[in-house]
Amino acid sequence: MVFFIARNLGLLAVLWTLPVLIGDYNTYQLGLYLLYAVAAVGVAVCWGQVGFLPLGQSVFFGLGAYISGWSLRAFGESWEVWPLLSLAVIVPALSAWLIGWLVFQGKKESGPYFSLITLALSMLAFQLATSWNSITGGFNGLSGIPEFGGLDSFGSLYYLIAFCLVLALAGSSWLLQAPLGTLWRAISQNEPRLVFLGYSTGTLKALAFGYSGALAGLGGMFYAPHQGLVTPDLCGFILAAELVVWTAVGGRKSLLGPVSGVVLVGLLTSELRDVFAYWEVLVALLFIGVVLYLPNGLSGIFKPLSGLKKTKISPEIAIPARSSVSANGGLSLLFDNVSSQIGTVHILNKLSFHIKTAGIYCMIGPNGAGKTSSFNVLSGELPLSDGTIQINGQPLKLAQHRLSALGISRKFQFPSIFPELTLREHLSIPLWSNQAKAHQYLDHRLHRWRSQVLSSLLIQFPFLSNQHNLASALSHGERQILELVMTLIAEPKLLLLDEPCAGLSPQETKHVIETIREITQENNLTVIIIEHDMQLVRELAEHLFVLHQGNLLAEGNVLEIQNNEQVKAVYAGGSKT
Amino acid sequence: MESLLVFNSLNILYEVFSLLLVALGLGIIFGLLRVMNMAHGEFISLGAFTAVSCQMAGLSYWVAFPATLVVCGSIGFLLERFLIRQLYNRPFDTLVATWGLSILLRKLLELGFGKGYQSLELPLSGSVSIWGTGYPAYRLLLMGFIVILVGGLTLWYNRSSAAMRVKAMIGNPELAESVGLNTQRLACLTFICGVCCAGLAGTLLAPLYSVYPAMGLDYLLRSFFILVIGGVGNLWGLFTGAAIIGGLQSGLAVLVNQTAGYFAVLIVAIIFLWRNPDGIFHRA
Repeated sequence: MVFFIARNLGLLAVLWTLPVLIGDYNTYQLGLYLLYAVAAVGVAVCWGQVGFLPLGQSVFFGLGAYISGWSLRAFGESWEVWPLLSLAVIVPALSAWLIGWLVFQGKKESGPYFSLITLALSMLAFQLATSWNSITGGFNGLSGIPEFGGLDSFGSLYYLIAFCLVLALAGSSWLLQAPLGTLWRAISQNEPRLVFLGYSTGTLKALAFGYSGALAGLGGMFYAPHQGLVTPDLCGFILAAELVVWTAVGGRKSLLGPVSGVVLVGLLTSELRDVFAYWEVLVALLFIGVVLYLPNGLSGIFKPLSGLKKTKISPEIAIPARSSVSANGGLSLLFDNVSSQIGTVHILNKLSFHIKTAGIYCMIGPNGAGKTSSFNVLSGELPLSDGTIQINGQPLKLAQHRLSALGISRKFQFPSIFPELTLREHLSIPLWSNQAKAHQYLDHRLHRWRSQVLSSLLIQFPFLSNQHNLASALSHGERQILELVMTLIAEPKLLLLDEPCAGLSPQETKHVIETIREITQENNLTVIIIEHDMQLVRELAEHLFVLHQGNLLAEGNVLEIQNNEQVKAVYAGGSKT
Repeated sequence: MESLLVFNSLNILYEVFSLLLVALGLGIIFGLLRVMNMAHGEFISLGAFTAVSCQMAGLSYWVAFPATLVVCGSIGFLLERFLIRQLYNRPFDTLVATWGLSILLRKLLELGFGKGYQSLELPLSGSVSIWGTGYPAYRLLLMGFIVILVGGLTLWYNRSSAAMRVKAMIGNPELAESVGLNTQRLACLTFICGVCCAGLAGTLLAPLYSVYPAMGLDYLLRSFFILVIGGVGNLWGLFTGAAIIGGLQSGLAVLVNQTAGYFAVLIVAIIFLWRNPDGIFHRA
């Protein structure tokens, strides 16, 4: 905390002493580029942290500038200008949030289409600003914008701008260290996993985009009085593209990266463009080079390690077990004539089974029998073409991220983790998912939460105690265990495990089996395990389901299944009749 | 009245055909190779500026065609070899790197020709009478050429064994390689083919539109919109996309004004990008 304040105050001191050294005109130019830097920080948050690339950030910069310019022209220095100026931040933030919410809702990826939408929006905004003469002043824009609160744009306004930039940097770094920041980084690492841990990633991404919109609006708000002129170019693609170039060259993974990119590339370009004809060509080459060989930009060279990971962990806060879940017994699951079909391929074919009590159930069957597919239909990865799935007598019809709140956790067949997140963050994310309230994701104390289940799992698997290690450093077996532990920390009622012991050593397998058995008994948990290893099935299963060609072939205890003629026939390679 | 109808229909048809031509190169590079090529517009500029250079050198306009093929072919080869090859299956990096490439090409064109507009003489002036309506001859020639180019490519893509290899490479690169196809070379040739198509589009359209270094962006966006609306990977998608965008643009331009047409195109494209980015004719 002390370091955090000292660093930002230090930065402010540096920015505030610069005018003495560089003179009035250069201060004026620097002020302009610091405004762009405020917007570039927003681009870095979206692109470097959350993993989606906004290609039309100028829309929000321009929006802020137009609102600010219009208000200043209309009200000058009377008091009404202040609430209107705050709209120059609020309106861009809300519009960005709304766009993000509409586009990201119900999707589990941040592919290039989002970027193209934002690019098209910047074209639209430019066209709108050009043709809506009565409000925007058309092609010539709004001119003669008065100074902001009497601050001279060639002098004192610079100090306010520098202060705002430092504020934006401090605010962003505080947000990124909050639990919300952890979730944002988790999205860029492995979005589907986060959805299954109970997070609506669309909402989280919309928040990030809204925040970046606020920063762009803030930059635009000061742009209007600083330049005294707002033109449609501000909304257009050239500024949007430059913001991306500056962020990439400076380094999208850090917060100071985009600032240095803006100052180095932007400011130098404005100075050198006319003197040295090849300068812009060099910048373009530099940009391509950075994309190819330096994904973390120039700041990546100097700072291979991020400061975020060194935070030391203060005393932990014990939290109670998940209340809604631990109180009563297991959960009942009914598959009633469930079919799933894609095109002409029948994946599941009238699959029916019913699980009424807690316990360990195993699902076996040859490849292509529909074991993983039945999980996928349950969790919404595959379409439910016919039949119903009921949980506790209620038909299941939910968004994927709500399954976790219902008490359903799933472990994937191949370990699905967040490679660049620390182990501590891995363990925290499922812990928060059903226990933290929305506003608490800004509360840094959440990082110190610890539940009973987490404590006992840390004892079981000591390697998890190296909390600052990155998950990418784990072996395959450890990753399997990490993912299993994550699903257990969520304290589910129904646990879906897809070959949890694949790739584990015999000792690890034994350990995992014991843990599963222990937790099942203690918590009245229903576990469904897909498994090929009959040794393991024999040890674990209380009840077996045998699937064949998308249908239930047989069910019963291990002995019954072993003596079932149909099962023998199928496993020997025949068909069932 | 009837002549106006004929004229307007020909205009809309011309608009659709020229859009088809503009999007063809991107259809190959993005549709087949899945390379999100933000420099597509600048490849078109390259063709247009080759035509301008030919005129400056006092050569006939028609010399520009082989010249474009040489310029775009060699640039396409170098780019594939040294830039794009490292970017297959890295969609974000591709997008950003080709964006950088587009800036680079634009700045180079600015250095060479200045930022201003270039004008090009129409190689074929005069008009041809169709059902009593006069229509510019060069536009008719252009439409004819587009039919031949697109028809030829389609025929080639559906019939030739080379196209079969390309399809195999797209469907499953590892398998294609393991049965002995040189996928690296195939991808390179496909890319060059896409760059050349874009360049030819620039050369063909240059006499009709303004030529300046920053002209590419508009073409790039239109091409992307066409692919997004129509769906990538097949000619029907390309044609549908061009028909929708072209019809909307020129239809509204006739009924309301140019700006309304442009707005409508942007809005339809955004809706498609948002709700249905796979387009109408989605390759399964």
